[in-house]
Formats: sequence, C-alpha cells, structure tokens
Amino acid sequence: MQAFFQFTVEGLTIGAFYALVALGYTMVYGIIRLINFAHGDVFMVGAFLGWTVLVTLAGMHLPMAIGLLVAFAVALIGSGALGVLIDRVAYQPLLSAPRLSILITALGVSLALENGVLLIYGPGFLTYPHLLSSAGFAIDGVQVSYAQTVMFVISLLLMVALYLFVQHTFIGTAMRALAVDQDAARLMGIDVERIIQITFFVGSFLAAAAGVMEGLYYTQISFFMGFLLGLRAFTAAVLGGIGNIPGAMAGGLLIGLLESYGAGYISSRWTDVFVFLVLIGVLVVKPTGLFGERVVERM
Amino acid sequence: MAADPAMRAATTRMLLVAIAAGAIVLPLAASDYVIDVAITILSYGILGLGLNIVVGYAGLLDLGYAAFFAIGAYTTALLETLLHVPFWATLPPSLALAAVSGIIIGYPTLRLRSDYLAIVTLGFGEIVRIIATNLDITGGPNGIYGIDPPILFGLQFTSPALLYGLAWVFLLLVILFSFRLSASRLGRAWISIREDETAAEAIGVPTLRVKLLAYVMGALVGGFGGSLFAARFGAIDPTGFTYLQSITFLIVVVLGGMGSMPGVLLGAVIVGGLPEALRFLALWREFGFAIGLIVLMLVRPQGLWPARIARRVQLPEDDAGDLSFAGAEAKWGETLLEVKDLGRDFGGVRAVRGVSFTVHRGEILSIIGPNGAGKTTVFNCLTGVIRPSRGEIVFRGQRLGRRAPHRVVALGLSRTFQGIRLFPNMTAYQNVLVGMDPHHRVSLVGEILGLPSARRDAQEHLGTCRRLLQFVGLEEEAGRRAGDLPYGDQRRLEIARALGAKPELLLLDEPAAGMNPTEKTALMGLIRGIRDLGVTVALIEHDMMLVMGVSDRVLVMDHGALIAAGPPAAIQRNERVIDAYLGNDTEAEETAGTEEEALWES
Repeated sequence: MQAFFQFTVEGLTIGAFYALVALGYTMVYGIIRLINFAHGDVFMVGAFLGWTVLVTLAGMHLPMAIGLLVAFAVALIGSGALGVLIDRVAYQPLLSAPRLSILITALGVSLALENGVLLIYGPGFLTYPHLLSSAGFAIDGVQVSYAQTVMFVISLLLMVALYLFVQHTFIGTAMRALAVDQDAARLMGIDVERIIQITFFVGSFLAAAAGVMEGLYYTQISFFMGFLLGLRAFTAAVLGGIGNIPGAMAGGLLIGLLESYGAGYISSRWTDVFVFLVLIGVLVVKPTGLFGERVVERM
Repeated sequence: MAADPAMRAATTRMLLVAIAAGAIVLPLAASDYVIDVAITILSYGILGLGLNIVVGYAGLLDLGYAAFFAIGAYTTALLETLLHVPFWATLPPSLALAAVSGIIIGYPTLRLRSDYLAIVTLGFGEIVRIIATNLDITGGPNGIYGIDPPILFGLQFTSPALLYGLAWVFLLLVILFSFRLSASRLGRAWISIREDETAAEAIGVPTLRVKLLAYVMGALVGGFGGSLFAARFGAIDPTGFTYLQSITFLIVVVLGGMGSMPGVLLGAVIVGGLPEALRFLALWREFGFAIGLIVLMLVRPQGLWPARIARRVQLPEDDAGDLSFAGAEAKWGETLLEVKDLGRDFGGVRAVRGVSFTVHRGEILSIIGPNGAGKTTVFNCLTGVIRPSRGEIVFRGQRLGRRAPHRVVALGLSRTFQGIRLFPNMTAYQNVLVGMDPHHRVSLVGEILGLPSARRDAQEHLGTCRRLLQFVGLEEEAGRRAGDLPYGDQRRLEIARALGAKPELLLLDEPAAGMNPTEKTALMGLIRGIRDLGVTVALIEHDMMLVMGVSDRVLVMDHGALIAAGPPAAIQRNERVIDAYLGNDTEAEETAGTEEEALWES
C-alpha cells in the first residue's frame, strides 16, 4: 500500500506537467480544430530558454529566487511569443485550407523547432542547475519533497487561473464563442485572429511553465524531450475530451498516474502500451473522451 | 496547363513515356547511391499510395501507418529466418496479417470522430513498435538480421539494380490496385463518406463497413511494402517503424495531394529525394527540410498535384432498359408504412409527441406545419438517423427498430435532405452512382481484377444512372461537379440519388425550397412521375401551391403532434389548421403590409 501511495505522488507530479501541456492542445483544438503538433516542442523551447537564463545568471551571484523568477518570466513570455509567431506564420494563412495541410505545417514547425534547438544547443543532454533540494516530508513512509509540493501547487494555481480567465473575462468568453461558431463570433464583432493569437500565447505560456519545472525537477533536458511529453499530453487531452479545459486537467493527472502505476507495477518498458490501451478502451466505451460532450448534428 | 483534353492526354502520355525511359535507363547509368535513393523513392511511393487509400480516399486520419509496414516486414523476416520460408511465400501471410491488424485497429475506431482517430492510430503504431522492441522473438531492440534476399529462377536479388527492378514491380502492382479501387464502387463510397458521412449513411452506404475496408486495403499495401523493405535491407529493427516514419508517409500523401495518385508519387519523389538534394546543407539539412515543408504547404495548401474530379463520362446511349421499380407490381392502396405513437425528446423538449399515421402504397402524402412542428424529426426517425424515444415504425410489415440508416434504405425507404447534402466534390453522375451502388451485385474482387462480368455490369449500372439523370432532367449535367450546379438542379439531383436506391417509399424534405415558380411547377410533374414509376412519395413542404396541387392526402403537424389529416380540400377548410399554420387571407395581407412598410422606413 505504501508503494501505491508513492507511485501516486510521482504520478501526480508528472501528471501536473502533462495537464499544463494538455491545456494548450485542448485550447487550440477547441477554437481552430487543429492538433498542434508543434506544441510539445514549444514546451521544449521553454525548458531551453529557462536553462539559458539560469546558466547566464549563475555567474552573477543573484539570490536564487530572483534567478528563478527571471528564468520563468523569460521562458514563459518568450515561448508565448513563439506560439503567436508560429500561429501567424504557419497556421493563420491556412485556416481556410484543407484541414490536413495545416496539420502538415504543424509537423513542419515541430521538426524545425527540434532541429533548430539541435543546431544551437547540440544533440546531447543539458544539465539544469541543481536548485531544488530533495528535502521533504514523509507521511506513513511515503516520501514527498517540498519541491514536488510547490510545483504541484503552482501547476494547480495556473490551471485555476486559466479556468477563471476563460470563464470570467471578456477574452475568455470570446474564446468560448469562437469554439462554438467562428463565423457567428466574427459577425458579433470579435476579432477572431487576435483571439486565436491570445489562445496560442496562453497555451504556449503554460507549456513553458511545465518545461522549466520539468527541467528543474529532472535536471536533464534535450531537444527531443518535447516529443514524448507532447504525445502523452495530447493523449491526456483526448482522454479528458478534447476541447474541454477541465477535461485536459483531469486527463493530464490521470495519464501521469497511469504511467506511474504502469511503470511501478508492470514495467516501464510497457508503460506506453498500457497508457494507449486504456485510452483506446475509454474511447471505445465513450467516444468523446471522459468529459467530452456529444455533438448533435442538424439536418 | 493544357486546357484542351486531347492535348492534356498527349502531354500525360509523353510524360509517362519519359518516366518509363528514365526508369529503365537509370540502373544502367547511375551509381549505386543514386539507385538506392531511387529505391527509397519507390518505397515511399508504395506506402504513400497505401496510406492514400485511408487518408486521401476515405478521409480518415492515420498517424500509425508504420504499424502495417512493420507487421509486413516482421512477418517476412520471421518466416524467412525461423522457418526458412522463401521470400515469395511470405507475401500471402504478410498481407493476411496486415489485413487482420487493419481490422483490429479499424474496428474499435469506426465510431470515433476523425480527430480522435489521430491519437488512436498513433497509439496503435506505438504499441506495435514497443511490442517489437520488447519481445525476444522479434530480436528486441536489435531486430532481425540475416534475412535472405528473394530468389527468382536462381537469380538472387542482392544488387541495387535488381532490387530497383523488384521495387518497380511492387510499385506498379500497387498503382494498379489503387487505380482499380478508386474506380470501384468502394472507391466512390470512400469519397462519399469523406464528403459527408451522415448523408452517405442516410442514402444507403454502409459507412462502418466501408471505413473498415479502407483500413484493410491500406493495411494490405502497407504490409506489402514492409515485406519489400525486409527483403531490401536483409535486416530490420524497431527504429525503422517509429511514429516519425508514419508521419513521413503522411507528408508524402498530403504534400503531393490527398486522393491524387500522381500527386502522391510526386510527394514520394520530394520526400525521398529532397533530403538527398539538401546534403550540401550538412547539419542544417533536417532544418532545411522542415522549413521547405512549411513553405511548400503555404504555397500549395491543396498539395502539389491535387486530385481532379473525373469529369469525363461516357454514359451508354442505349434506351433498351427502363427504370423499373419493385413497387410497380405491388398492390396499390395497401399499407406500406405504419407509424404508431411515435415520440422523440431532445433533452426536455418533446419534439414529437405521439404521432400515428399510415402511408398507403401509391399515394403522394404531404406533411405540413409551422417551423419547429417536428416534421423533419419524424423523417429522421423513419430513416433511422435518430432513434425514436417512443413508438413503433412498421415498414413493409417489418419493424424498423434500431436499424442503422443504410439498412433502412436497403428495405426500400430513401430520402432527400432539407439542407441539400449532395457530395459537392463529386460529379452529378457519381452522386447518383453512390446512391445506386449498395444494390450492386458484382463482387469487389471482380471489380479490382477487372473481370469481364464486372465491366459488363458497370456498363449496365451506368445505363441506369443515365436514365435516372434523364428522368430528373439532368442528363446534360452528368459530368458537372455537384457543388457547381444551380440550386434547383441540386434538389433534383438529390432526388435522382435517392431514387438510385430503388426505394418503395421516397421521403422528400422541402423539395421546393429555393426553387422559382417555373421550377416548382416542373417539380410537381416530377413528383407525379415518381409516383407513376410505382414509388410512394411522402414530402415535407411549405409551399401550399405545390402541396395542395400534388398531394392525395395531407397531414398537419403542430408542436410535435398531428392536428389534422385528410385530402387537400378538407385541410384548407380545417379551422385548427388555419389557426395554427395557414392563417386567413386578411392576416397574411396585414403582415405583408407591415413588412413592406418596415422596408421603406429603413
């Protein structure tokens, strides 16, 4: 039983990262029906931006808190801007084109980001500065580090903030309107292109937060890290019901737990098989994901 | 581009001759390196065409296509190394296993929306790769090596030139297969579900089976390509079957042009050749490829060589056959359809509440009533598009129950739609053929092999198609894109498509909407003509001139209930109907007056 709770702690930590990234997939899908394949790589770029800032500041003997704050600020805003740029260059011109062509530019952007980072930073792993102590507390022998707790809380706060943003602000309302009917939203005077850009900014911003935290937590980053995490986060978004924000959060945590239990009880080599089988099983029983709604078609 | 079809055909012929000549000369003149790149391009061509069946024809997203490729490769490798089966004998089991895995992946995903397919197929691809990596029998991460090359008449296929020839043979077979498929009724059904799945199902296309067959056919080609891959390299390992590989195949298809065979082959040349051409970029090569991909997609979003609609059509001219319908011999006046206490709720809204009526064979029945009265919901329940919450529908003595829409059509009940739902990117005659196809006898295998019986049957089929188009007055428009037809023509084409299913009862949902008075008069004639063929007609319509002029009986619905039924003359005098729907003349004039005033003020 102790092992079970230990796996749960690990699963929730990694699941929070998945949830943050899954939100970006689900938001973009919700408003323009695009599976943004480059999103996992934006997460990766966020981790690299954070690393660059931390390494640059390392020689300046600033207090750790300030260093982290600057790193987060640069990574989050920089990635957000990157998200907007990607949207402007590669997606906006194709919004009315056949749907698969925009999917291919998304794949192109993904490849370009991976190879761009590879060219700048090289193919090996980079090591994040060891800033997090492994100190923590134990409940009944289940180890929980302070760092895990803080990161989990930060992730939850970001998710709650996003939820409030989408539900209670004018821009959030516009996003939801866009998700329902883009043409009607445009006719109501909503600046559709700008709302889409804001969506990309917010999604990339959250992904970068996960990127920096993942770097700090696992201390190793590589140009390829976005692929696997992006895959899991996308799975999470679908599991929760793609287009549904609370669904993405729940899906992320669920995938984290599944992965952790899978690795703990079965074998880490079979984790992905386990995760995908659960996903397929859920979709067969409930084709719109756990929290997705049925779409009724008019004739 | 040559506008003249004859000139275009000549250009195509010259291009083909040039390609054939180049292909033959290549192994004699080029270095082994160039031949190797050429084999890679040919392999991409094979797999691209296979994936094109799934993505291009049927419009189903597949991000795990490398799984079938892997299954073919591993089957051949294992049979050769463990059981010493010669290469050629491994092909049937390889194809069979790939096809079975096509069913395994296809079956659970059939009811999913296309976007969910992306992740499920991706997951399937990953599962196959992980299994190959983790099992001992597949050699784990190291894979399988020492696979013997194919041997034919004592000739070992080890040299690049011979492998190159083998790859060409494989590709040509796949081209032929793909071409025959696209021209078959299955090919048409795929395009129809890509265009509008709900409409396809509602006019009789068994959409689930058709989609499953897309996976199976795609998987067959994938397995075929996999076997070739194993033979070519003599060694395989899981890194050859990653998600990135699946993505690469998808790029071949979309970059070239979905659903277009020349496009896919061009895509294969670019995806296989461009990275080689970019070697001068050294480390920047992959990056350059990514940027090139984005730019190409931005410049040509529809692909480099998009699919064209097959406009040319030679409909047989003979007038020997006649339009024949089963209903013609049956007894007029007997009960054809019986609806008992039909009800349907949407959430808290009771759209239809306890409607009962019968339709007699040979009559023309109209259902009228204000908007939101539940008329279309009744039609949707009858055709199985939505399930009734209560009640019973008996058609030709059989309870419809929970039958899928295409099976209702098979029983002899077909329909048109209130908002036109043709397949806009198919020609008029193809639209009608899709409606006719589910009742087509010839076997698919016959069509793919091009058997004489299949050809004869296809000719006959086209003849019926022509007569249907002629019947609705669209013979001249047969080769036009359905989406380009004027509104009234689209309505009539929908009727022809519905008649293609040889219905005994035809449901028309607002057939006159958007038609001008001349067209409406012609439509009345057409509706009577349909009845004279022996087809019973039920229609929903707001145009009273048409309803009163054409109907034998009229049903009136309001707020989900039936409020009156009877011959047109009686309905026109019925007080409840006048209150609920028709209104009296003075009221109508007043409303018209206010509308006019409002118009002037603004």
